[in-house]
Amino acid sequence: MNPFARYGIEHLSPSQCNLFVASPAMYVMERCLKLRSPVGAAAHRGTAVEAGVVHGLLNGATLKECQEITKKEFSKLTALSGDPRIDKEQAAIADMVAQGIRELAPYGKPSSTQGLIKYNVEGLAVPLIGYYDMEWENHGILIDLKTTHALPSKISTNHARQVALYCAARGDNLDARITYVTSKKSATYQLENKREHVAALGKIALAIQRFLSISEDPHYLASLVVPDVDSFYFSDPKARQNAFDVWGL
Amino acid sequence: MALGFSTEASEGGNFLPICKFDCRAGRMFRRDRELGENIDVDITKSFKAVIDLENIEVGWIDFDTGGAPSFALGPIDNMPDKPSEKHKRGARFVVKLAKECGGDVREMASTAKAFLRGLDELHDAFMAGAKKNPDKLPVVVLVDTVAVTTGEGSRKSTNYSPKFEIQSWVSRPADLKPQQRAAAPETARSSAPSTGSTKVAAPVADDEDFG
Repeated sequence: MNPFARYGIEHLSPSQCNLFVASPAMYVMERCLKLRSPVGAAAHRGTAVEAGVVHGLLNGATLKECQEITKKEFSKLTALSGDPRIDKEQAAIADMVAQGIRELAPYGKPSSTQGLIKYNVEGLAVPLIGYYDMEWENHGILIDLKTTHALPSKISTNHARQVALYCAARGDNLDARITYVTSKKSATYQLENKREHVAALGKIALAIQRFLSISEDPHYLASLVVPDVDSFYFSDPKARQNAFDVWGL
Repeated sequence: MALGFSTEASEGGNFLPICKFDCRAGRMFRRDRELGENIDVDITKSFKAVIDLENIEVGWIDFDTGGAPSFALGPIDNMPDKPSEKHKRGARFVVKLAKECGGDVREMASTAKAFLRGLDELHDAFMAGAKKNPDKLPVVVLVDTVAVTTGEGSRKSTNYSPKFEIQSWVSRPADLKPQQRAAAPETARSSAPSTGSTKVAAPVADDEDFG
């Protein structure tokens, strides 16, 4: 049995790889011990804003209609959430949609959205999969949309690896870009060094495989790592309690 | 054709900066390095170069190694065997850019069929003109890019093939040496790869069904 199968893991994704890098303890808690933490309001913000922006790009809908779609999506996703940041995110999403539409409308109608990609890494027992946000085949451009409260001056490493993977699966010649939107600003950056970032993701995935192969006992894997309970990964009360239950910390 | 090429896979040597033709966009770029960052400068409109077609190398290239590309190249009349399934048919050559688009000596290499199509036509023109211009190299301009659509339905894809034209013939520039060799400076890394901080704008939209 491959080390992923014993933990019921059928594939890896860029977000799983990024999680393993940022917090191996949270990875063990969620993927091996199956103690899932609630999705935060910030993640729901991204999903909801993307829904509104994509609706506008695909249908040429009015901004108001796009914003309504985003608000409804956000309300639906956070209906049962106890995250205290809901109000802050809710206040920002309509303006984020406006920024996203303004930034991306000049590209025209995407040829595809939310496309599934699958990429095999040599020596890795499971595939890497993911979903890209938008592609314009006529321009040879693929873009991922990211929402944030502070506009970055460059692409983050995690985002670079994620989008580089999409390009590796879709075609190395694609012009990969990441659009960041805040409630007040937006910027689109061109991804550099795609091959290197995909190679990095492959190394991370293989590290996860080696880690999981250490033991069939998830509690033993948990004993090899320690959570940083001050990190935002453990800011949710349920996640914090799970960490205490597992590690006594 | 010139002799003396190594046909072994090479990953080292004297590094040359590169030029690249993006077939998906139909654009020619000069890749500069500034403070460890790659900066692609669009020279599509101004591309003009002395191209050392006399010493062009053909064979097999694997760009997707995760590190330095793997080259197995030789002169046109002595193409090496394919080293692996991952290697694709390709070509490599050295150019000296005109002052208006950079002025320095650079390497170009590609496995893109659309690019090779344009290069093949240029090479035919070079071979036809070389007899009348002994010991000279062509000054080449990029006059157009031609859309080439392949596949159907969801697999339909459009690439752009360069249309080169020989404008004149000149003696070999002193800094365009026959044995110059380059090896992917962008991937011969001693530091972490940059992610990208260059802001880019949307291309001119050509979808008229978007309001």
